[in-house]
Amino acid sequence: MEKEEQRANEEALERRKARKPSPKANKLTLVPLYCKGCGLCVHICPTGTLQLVDAPKNKWGISVVAEAENYCIACKMCEYQCPDFAIFVNYEQDKNEGAK
Amino acid sequence: MRDYEKYIRYRTFPTPWCPGCGDGVILKSIAMAFSELKLDPNEIIVVAGIGCSGRMPTYFNTNTLHTTHGRALTFATGIKLARPEKLVVVISGDGDALAIGGNHLIHAARRNIGIKMILINNGIYGMTGGQVSPMTPPKFITETTPYGNIEPQFHVTELLIASRATFVARETVNRLLPLKQVIKKSFQHPGFSVVEVMSNCHINLGRRNKMKHPLTMTKYIEENTLKKEDYEKLSFEERGQKFPVGTFVEDLDRLEYSDLYYNHIVPLAKQSQQGGKS
Amino acid sequence: MSQRQVLQGNYIIAKAALAAGCNFFAGYPITPSSEIAQYMSKEMPKINRAFIQMEDEIASLGACIGASLAGKKSMTATSGPGFSLMQEHLGLAAMAEVPVVIVNVMRGGPSTGMPTKPSQSDIMQTRWGTHGDHPIIALYPAFSDEIFMETIRAFNLAEKFWNPVVLLLDEVLGKAHEDIEIPEPGSYEVFQAAPNQIENLNIYDRNMGENPPRVDFFQGYPIHIDGLEHDSHGWPSFEPKTVDKMQRLRMEKIFHNLDEIIAFKEYEVDDADILLFSFGVSARSALAAVQLAREQGIKVGLFQALTIWPFPRAALQKRMKKSKKVLTIEMNLGQAKYEVERIAPCDVECRTLLRANGVPFNPSEVLQAIKEM
Repeated sequence: MEKEEQRANEEALERRKARKPSPKANKLTLVPLYCKGCGLCVHICPTGTLQLVDAPKNKWGISVVAEAENYCIACKMCEYQCPDFAIFVNYEQDKNEGAK
Repeated sequence: MRDYEKYIRYRTFPTPWCPGCGDGVILKSIAMAFSELKLDPNEIIVVAGIGCSGRMPTYFNTNTLHTTHGRALTFATGIKLARPEKLVVVISGDGDALAIGGNHLIHAARRNIGIKMILINNGIYGMTGGQVSPMTPPKFITETTPYGNIEPQFHVTELLIASRATFVARETVNRLLPLKQVIKKSFQHPGFSVVEVMSNCHINLGRRNKMKHPLTMTKYIEENTLKKEDYEKLSFEERGQKFPVGTFVEDLDRLEYSDLYYNHIVPLAKQSQQGGKS
Repeated sequence: MSQRQVLQGNYIIAKAALAAGCNFFAGYPITPSSEIAQYMSKEMPKINRAFIQMEDEIASLGACIGASLAGKKSMTATSGPGFSLMQEHLGLAAMAEVPVVIVNVMRGGPSTGMPTKPSQSDIMQTRWGTHGDHPIIALYPAFSDEIFMETIRAFNLAEKFWNPVVLLLDEVLGKAHEDIEIPEPGSYEVFQAAPNQIENLNIYDRNMGENPPRVDFFQGYPIHIDGLEHDSHGWPSFEPKTVDKMQRLRMEKIFHNLDEIIAFKEYEVDDADILLFSFGVSARSALAAVQLAREQGIKVGLFQALTIWPFPRAALQKRMKKSKKVLTIEMNLGQAKYEVERIAPCDVECRTLLRANGVPFNPSEVLQAIKEM
């Protein structure tokens, strides 16, 4: 993991420490097949819910997980930001990877 | 299924763009704008030139056309004049629209033909490996300026204002909600509209200039753009390499070209045929 | 009742285009073809058809291709320098299989050349001007009635074979006023492809030698049309087998259907020992020379090519069985002669009468060349 990605992770953790878990339960749907691990969603999430992790099986070697889903406030900035359609907030149904 | 997903061709995913590329963010903003305006995919056509931005039509589940370098506006002019009721969107990069296609940009603006242009400005020729473009910042290293870029940038907004454009705006890939809003507004504008989006190419431009991660490059864009009102308060020296964002021109009075042709010229011609000799 | 009029060659092309259903014209002024654009700018708005003068020739052909893909029959008109500019988009039209008619009223070249003098020196450029392997149809009328009918045929062939068609004309014939009997509408065929032919996204799928259905936008299917090499759906693909198949499909749709495309006229060739091969204004001089020579007892005939590309190889080879001396007459320093020499059997003697100084051939000059054979 590069130093910019580690810094994005640390800043996300700091934002999370300054908050409490969200009162309403929100569901994050990630699509690992499309995620390229760019880290833009980790950077923009105001509550630090997301984190970058090493993923050796992924083509780009890195991916995103929702480490603290209970902190998510459903602002949807990650969904607006993601260039690869790899994250959805409160998606209505299960997402099939690589659907047409 | 989100409504904006119906405008996307998933069969071609994952996209060929680098991780974190601004093109993907713009793809999503445009799809969301289509969705919020409740447009029928059959009524839309997306035309693009060559380059990383030129691969965008492949991902839209509408009519799509991939044309030659710099000439997307000419094809779009033919389509708009042939079917004036359709929404014609042109997506172009900075090299595509400002270098080889600069002439067509001036005349499309001058004619006020109802094409909606999204100009993706990442300051580099990304697809071909990172050569200098008209919008590369000065002193930057690129493949064809290995000792530093000695050419200045220019403000496309001023060129378009001089060409009598009726809707000119600039946004960045950091400001997501204003970006979606201004794209929506430009689609509703009747005449020629240009939204210039400052985007990041961290692999081909950033990597040679100490900004190899998307997060560092988007931070660079954030530092070099500021709201139009704040930009006007700065002195000439302070402005430096910065760019103002916002809507610069919104002229609703000028008539659109195909409107003028079919509703003014054609009746005039028919009248002259009845009155005098044909 | 058909009308007899005295019309300039350029106006004949414009009138024929309107009769063929042309409903989009994008052009740029250039001597000697500006009159076509001027006539279209006046007449097209009267019948609710689109006309636009673009900022250059590249934009003109781009707009024509765009309009053709949106369902119109489009045309542009230019001359040598503009035709050179249009080559990139001609390649795109050939690659994406888009019908469009391009009129090239040839003038002296190369470069700015002689804007007000004729030449026939764009023949090879018409076939090979744009890069890559591509088929081209090029029609070349000589007499005023041929100018009208070949324009109609240009639109029909473009609509039928989904390929750009180049209509060549000599500057002197474009500018000359001649009498012509305009045929009644209905006395000639105007081909209109049936609309809404796409049934799914597999837009280019067909057998070798067939033509694709009408591929244009807004039929209810989200199709993708590309200048990149693509598969039968239009998606970009560089996979070797797919690319091979698509390239051959594009070539075979023309070369499999030569009977429909190739046209020519033969004058007194059945017993001719000497065969003249010509086209355009040179064919008119050659025809007069044939009549003069026959009066003097020389057995000579004229093969006038109306379709210059694809080259009328089979028909010419058939005549070469009887006529063992062939004289190619063209106003350039040797272009069509290479095709004639290439297809001629070993026992046929090929000679040329060439000139590129802007002066058409006098029939007596052609007669002199015949006598020297």
